[in-house]
Amino acid sequence: MGRQIVHRLLISLPALLGVLFLCFCLMQVVPADPAAIIAGPDAKAETIAAIRQDLGLDRPIVVQFAEYIWRVMHGDLGRSIISNKMVIEEIASTMGPTLELMFAGMLFAIPIGMALGTVAAVNRGTLIDRSIMAIAVAGVSMPIFFIGLILIQYVGYKWGLLPFLGRAGPVWAGGLPNLVLPALTLGSVLIGPIARLTRTSVLEVLGADYVRTARAKGLRERVVIVHHALRNALIPVVTLIGLQAAFLLGGAVVTETMFSWPGVGRLAVGAIISSDFPTAQGAIMILALAFLLINLLVDVLYVYLDPRVARQ
Amino acid sequence: MTMQAPLALDVASEAPDVAPAQTALPGRASVLRRLARDKAAALAATFLSLVVLAAIFAPIVAPYDPYYTDLSKAMQAPSAAHWFGTDTAGRDVLSRVIYGSRNTLAIGLIGVIVGGLVGGLFGILAAYFRKLDGWIMRIVDIMLAFPAILLGLAVAAIFGAGLTAVIVAVVVATIPDVARVARGAAIGVMGQEFMEAGRAVGVSDTVLIWRYLTLNCISTIFVFLTLRFGQIILIGSALSFLGLGAQPPTAELGMMASQGRDFLFISEHIAIIPSLVIFLIVLAANILGDAFRDVLDPRLQQ
Repeated sequence: MGRQIVHRLLISLPALLGVLFLCFCLMQVVPADPAAIIAGPDAKAETIAAIRQDLGLDRPIVVQFAEYIWRVMHGDLGRSIISNKMVIEEIASTMGPTLELMFAGMLFAIPIGMALGTVAAVNRGTLIDRSIMAIAVAGVSMPIFFIGLILIQYVGYKWGLLPFLGRAGPVWAGGLPNLVLPALTLGSVLIGPIARLTRTSVLEVLGADYVRTARAKGLRERVVIVHHALRNALIPVVTLIGLQAAFLLGGAVVTETMFSWPGVGRLAVGAIISSDFPTAQGAIMILALAFLLINLLVDVLYVYLDPRVARQ
Repeated sequence: MTMQAPLALDVASEAPDVAPAQTALPGRASVLRRLARDKAAALAATFLSLVVLAAIFAPIVAPYDPYYTDLSKAMQAPSAAHWFGTDTAGRDVLSRVIYGSRNTLAIGLIGVIVGGLVGGLFGILAAYFRKLDGWIMRIVDIMLAFPAILLGLAVAAIFGAGLTAVIVAVVVATIPDVARVARGAAIGVMGQEFMEAGRAVGVSDTVLIWRYLTLNCISTIFVFLTLRFGQIILIGSALSFLGLGAQPPTAELGMMASQGRDFLFISEHIAIIPSLVIFLIVLAANILGDAFRDVLDPRLQQ
């Protein structure tokens, strides 16, 4: 199992380098000269040249890339052009809220999605199954901002039930009401895919020999489903939740922007719109690294859950 | 083998347009008939065709000029004169939705077609030339490390926000997924005997790749792309909603929803209607994609 994990780590190295390189390129191909932006519109050519040299922009690309990796490894992502704060500090302060939002969204989506999928599979072919699958298809087709708009307009504004602007601190310090609507918005896009895969997975397991054996032993149907079927159906669902990482990430970017949630996604979007390249690049890099890490963790978890994978 | 060779020769010389089918696929007429029997799919197909026709013939269908502003009529609720109401600048929302679905559908189509062609080519070449496989799949793995929305952010950061940024992002995001699906399908076909037979009788690489391999993978790729179409539209409209896609005053559904968001509490229809239209388009595309999958390629069902 250890070898498997090391192997998986080695495979993700090129991807990691690729992410770093693309983020580095972001700074290279940006149409505006970063030195000129920092110097301001009225700067003299010498000032720009000085800043250019200061930033190391006059050296060969390969050297710059090596230096870039060195700096990233030391947590130096440059300074924000807008706020003049270190980018790494800006990112550090936004990571917590983003993780909190993602976690809350999954906490809401995974049990509901899995319950719906299991109920659909057990009642295969009935009206219940078809209704649940219809809900799942609708969920997969829903633009996330549509759900957000409806929740803001009705639950937040018209009925005044919950706040919908910004974050009010951590959950244990009274931040829960502010978290509910963004988490519901983000979680709602995950329910459909999770329900669909759980259904497929449970259906497959229900046809397996050991489930037939369990039934033949005269076990109650509930025991068969919960203890025999669901447990084995979990394995593909874990992978699926990993595949949902892309949805989760994209959803978080939109949700954070809509609800003024102070997370990494909102930081990235704001930075791009205001041409704050160091911040944009740093935020995009962190999001890409997070995505790599989630996939890595899911693969490792997969080996742990299904020992057959390790033996292959 | 002696029985196989003449058969393959027949195929190569007399009926070169049709490589031997890997499995007995249903004919085109039967596919349509089976689709028509699925009521949800038929409804979805009708709706999508109507939207596509309206988008193509937008100048004829749209009741008003989508860019004509009249502040005295701003933010009117839906009425007989303006079925979907008017927006903050007094423009007719129905006309803007019709023109907007042009851009939104174009994003989806370009993503599917260009991404599908490049990705499909990558996947099939990787399956056919084993030497290329490692390299192509390594590039694909790196590309997969960037989910679509991040690509959108990155491209918008480089080229500036706009429709082009969105299109580049969805195309690049589609390539690795299609490449994987196409490679998987092509590797299955490579194991078939007719490939070996074709090579044995000296069919050239080009013909083997195109007539033997690609034509046998196409239904799998097609099904995947129809299911992907809705996703691309969702990603594109999300990017526009974030302000990174189409820029005002261009009509694009995601951007219209985003503009309406600022006036949500005053007149909700400006944001809700374009969002609802995106939802319906994607829903119809997904229902149709599911139906295609069930008919053409039941193996993809997992």
